[in-house]
Amino acid sequence: MDTTTDSIQQLPQQNVAVKNNPHASLLPQQPASAPIETNEAQHDVKLQNVVATVSLACELNLQDINNRTRNSEYTPSRFHGVVMRMRDPRCTALIFRTGKIICTGARNESEASLGTRKFARIIQKLGYPIKFTDFRLQNIVATVDLRFPIRLENLNQIHGQFSSYEPELFPGLIYRMVKPRMVLLIFVNGKIVFTGAKARKDILECLDAIYPILLSFRKN
Amino acid sequence: MSSGVKCRNCGSTDIEEDNARGDRVCTNCGSVLEDSLIVSEIQFEEVGHGSSAIGQFVSAESSGGATNYGYGKFQVGSGTESREVTLKKAKREITHLCQQLQLTQHYIDTALNFFKMALMRHLTRGRKSTHIYAACVYITCRTEGTSHLLIDISDVQQICSYELGRTYLKLSNALCINIPSVDPCLYIMRFANKLQFGAKAHEVSMTALRIVQRMKKDSIHSGRRPTGLCGAALLIAARMHEFNRTIVDIVRIVKIHESTLRKRLTEFADTPSSALTLDEFMSVDLEAEQDPPAFKAARKKDRERIKEIGESELTELQKEIDLQLEQDLKRAQKSALKRLTFGKDDFEEEETAEFIEKSNLEAIEECLADNPDLSEAAPKTKKLVIEGLKPDIESMCQPTASELQELEKAQSQKDDIGELSLEGLDDEEINNYILTHEEAERKNIMWKALNAEYLKEMKEKEERLAKEREEGKPEKKKRKSRKKIIGPSTTAGEAIEKMLQEKKISTKINYDILKTLTEGGASSSNNASSSDNAPTSSGIIKQEVKDIKPKVDVIIESGPIHTKHGRGKPSYSIGGPSAKIPKLEMGLPVGEPEPKEDAVVVENDDIEDDDAVAEDEVEPEPEKEYSSLKDMLNDGNDDDDYYGYDEDNY
Repeated sequence: MDTTTDSIQQLPQQNVAVKNNPHASLLPQQPASAPIETNEAQHDVKLQNVVATVSLACELNLQDINNRTRNSEYTPSRFHGVVMRMRDPRCTALIFRTGKIICTGARNESEASLGTRKFARIIQKLGYPIKFTDFRLQNIVATVDLRFPIRLENLNQIHGQFSSYEPELFPGLIYRMVKPRMVLLIFVNGKIVFTGAKARKDILECLDAIYPILLSFRKN
Repeated sequence: MSSGVKCRNCGSTDIEEDNARGDRVCTNCGSVLEDSLIVSEIQFEEVGHGSSAIGQFVSAESSGGATNYGYGKFQVGSGTESREVTLKKAKREITHLCQQLQLTQHYIDTALNFFKMALMRHLTRGRKSTHIYAACVYITCRTEGTSHLLIDISDVQQICSYELGRTYLKLSNALCINIPSVDPCLYIMRFANKLQFGAKAHEVSMTALRIVQRMKKDSIHSGRRPTGLCGAALLIAARMHEFNRTIVDIVRIVKIHESTLRKRLTEFADTPSSALTLDEFMSVDLEAEQDPPAFKAARKKDRERIKEIGESELTELQKEIDLQLEQDLKRAQKSALKRLTFGKDDFEEEETAEFIEKSNLEAIEECLADNPDLSEAAPKTKKLVIEGLKPDIESMCQPTASELQELEKAQSQKDDIGELSLEGLDDEEINNYILTHEEAERKNIMWKALNAEYLKEMKEKEERLAKEREEGKPEKKKRKSRKKIIGPSTTAGEAIEKMLQEKKISTKINYDILKTLTEGGASSSNNASSSDNAPTSSGIIKQEVKDIKPKVDVIIESGPIHTKHGRGKPSYSIGGPSAKIPKLEMGLPVGEPEPKEDAVVVENDDIEDDDAVAEDEVEPEPEKEYSSLKDMLNDGNDDDDYYGYDEDNY
């Protein structure tokens, strides 16, 4: 039904009933530090940023676009693209002379799509013969709080080939997962940042893979 | 000087070794058996202006090969390969760096070895040498556990420590060096010495060490700079030993901000160990380990959030959730229906939906049966919802709705690629973003004023370009990519052809003849000239030559000599193959009857085979040789004398 996500639909069916009722899945009165299950962690995954690109397949006059729109900035001495912002969905687009648009700042996939189409529509209204080709999600950033502390040193020692942990440079452990090809920032307080995902299911897959590992490096 | 070695060509033992020239020649047939001999003795010779050492010195680290015959006089220093120059420079720089950091010879050697490893894997390319040296030294420091920080090295080298950190991580990762995590204890002594504790320095640092150990147990250290931890520990330790050290003093030495240091102190204050008296702290080890402060903070935040959500907001929240759920339900059902109407494959969907509804009902009924006290049960669950601090509405409900939309969108996009779908777009809103003509004019004026400088620059640039074009100046060449990727070719001929296609190498090459050459004509002239190539060109060509061998004796004779000594005539001789054949025959002064030669032929073949194998072992790889052929054709095209021992690619 509604709260099911891609991977949850693959779960065994007895779980489905529980999953479908978000209330039923809540563990009553758990202590603050109790770890949550992977499946529940999946509910906790929050998308933070979605980057999408599209090609309009026509050359644009950036100066003209900048002049005729309210929501744009163009400083060619600093950046060779028009920066256009939008309030709903809240996102920012970089528009280039070649007709390529990069839309960042959307909170989820549909916002990214809607935002990109809105930007394209604005340019269309300015009289450019645009097409809407090659729409692609380039990157999804998500966070999750696993609510248990993690021993970063030990994790780094055992998974050295995938991870790097240099507190002198960055407080988190950087974990480069091979499959799905993503990068995770793992912090000592159990918060994780996923980045490099092309689709939501990458993140869930990644969480499934990393969860047992992190659980084994749980402090206490 | 005859030695016990037999000549490979004629079997004679009359072999002369000349240490001055560094070669070994058979006096019978005249073939040079070995050149660039390396001897471990020094001889001197009288020259016009005194005496000088014979030959040239080869360093123990030299990889051999490159000698400075012919070219040596024109090169700076003793003729060395560029790699050797690189290594020498690295050694010098690393030594300098290590001396500045007060590291001993052992560290220098280790760091240099890391550098060599990096060099072998071409990790140095595209990186600044200073970064590579610094990274190598830092890797050494980390593996050996010295008390050097990344920032010390970047300070000495005057480079950005983050940039250095990136290089270091890349190197250590690529070289598979497993580096232990930083231990803050390492730095205590170092900082303690700088704080002028006098005779008590040891005691203070021991106390500080104990504090750091305790902090580590309470995981204050994870994700934090070691310097901050050390600073806090040293401050506490100094005060415990009645030294008057202020936070500013510490900050100056550990090079960390005051607020960071204060934060470490308060974090330590939050642990139970801080409640102990001084004597207790030194004697008692608390068993319990604390959660990391960041974790505690996160939980505290959670609790506060729960508190904030009062009872009144609660019901609103509940309503919101219900509303969202209902909406989603409807939407999901709609989309399910849609799918059913679209495709017949989605029977499963319907079935699962049915099952889900049923099981939901069952579950609810069970709950009801278990709790006869309905009125009480309801509020309870409400409370639980909040206390468990479960996913917020956003993360629970948004994804699915959006995902469904996504799916539909993806489908619609697949249908009409290129067409902008206007679904969900509000034209009015979009029109709001577009300025009227007047407004646009005004913005244009403003923009031009703001970017006047840039516009001027651009104009100037354009004018300059136009002028240059008028004057007929060629446009600036774009930098060529370093390596053009040439696909693997099946035969040597193909490879040569590809190379020729890539660029015309020299005007002195007769390309037509070269073409006939590569076409694999069986004429003897072709064979002869290809044998000319053999010593200097790829192993593939060599094989070709071997195949031909049984037919043409001449080549066999020339074979071993050429391969051995790399004295092959430069391949530009290809230009006039017809003139070359007689020369070749003359150049082989083995005056023996034919039948005997046949016997030799077989032997030679074997020997040459061995040689080829040995050479293959020495030489890096056939590909490289191929490129050397290319280089040779490039370099040698203007060289007219045959003396150039320029094939120093061996």
